[in-house]
Amino acid sequence: MHIPDGYLGPYTCAFFYLIMIPIWYRAFRWLKNLRPNQVPLLGVLTAFSFLVMMYNMPVPGGTTAHIVGGTIIAILVSPWAATVSLTVVLLIQALFFGDGGITTYAANVFNMGVVLPFVGYYTYRFFTQKIRVNEIVSSGIGAYIGIVTAATMAGIELGIQPYIQPGYCPYTLSVSVPAMAIAHLITAGPAAAVVTGAVIWYVKKSRPDLFAMRTITKVRW
Amino acid sequence: MDRVTKTLLAIVGVMIILSPIGILLVWNYNGAWGEWDVKTIEGMVGHRLPGMEKLSEVWNHAVLPDYNVPGWEDKLHASIGYIISAVVGTALVFVIYYALVKFTTGGGAST
Repeated sequence: MHIPDGYLGPYTCAFFYLIMIPIWYRAFRWLKNLRPNQVPLLGVLTAFSFLVMMYNMPVPGGTTAHIVGGTIIAILVSPWAATVSLTVVLLIQALFFGDGGITTYAANVFNMGVVLPFVGYYTYRFFTQKIRVNEIVSSGIGAYIGIVTAATMAGIELGIQPYIQPGYCPYTLSVSVPAMAIAHLITAGPAAAVVTGAVIWYVKKSRPDLFAMRTITKVRW
Repeated sequence: MDRVTKTLLAIVGVMIILSPIGILLVWNYNGAWGEWDVKTIEGMVGHRLPGMEKLSEVWNHAVLPDYNVPGWEDKLHASIGYIISAVVGTALVFVIYYALVKFTTGGGAST
């Protein structure tokens, strides 16, 4: 899901930098709400996100996909915290490992650091609070829908390039969207659901207060 | 540091050691869709992509490109290169994360 430099034309890149400015402003301001005991937790979760993306999984057809960990951070800390984490992780990946890009950085943060955790988090909230589904199952559903939505978003960004300006990503929406969506529907999505469910299960078991507190005080982000 | 953070830290350590699974499992695969290098995708579509050629050059200073030490091509070396990358990446995450927390909170939320 890391769009490399060259796949998105200058207009698309500039557009995503523009929409990321207020989002970054809000997310970095949110960091002030981090309680001192949450500081190491978010740090470790950020490292977890970096590492989990190194676990490439085979997708039938010859390509690969990985999970992101954004929904876990969104549920355990806050979706804004996930934006901060992914901003850090994607910068390191682009600068030091050539994964993703500089011109596409804002678009990649938007997909994996905004769309993924917010869709994942609100899906989870919808299932736990409106339908009263068990928290672990809801977190898995959230992670699944979050990553598939983010991948579809990346597919749309890639697929609109031929209509804007030729010379960048050559594939149109009819190719890029199914390619990105299917890889995550069948491989990364189920993996994200299982990993997220397992982490939430463990944390709920050892720190039920993290979850109880949220329902009692109706924390709003 | 609470118990959950400690356990997650241990998981991070295990994930670093086991990271080569992430390349060995997909050794003969083509990588992720839409992440091919310029030459590969130009070969796939059969024509040149001038815009992509230009923009793809903006950053080529990655120290460990593709999470590997350049030239370490065989499975054993690539696995070692991958573990080195996992260690370097994790260290960078902590350095930048703590710098960011310190900067945005003015050092107030220090541990």
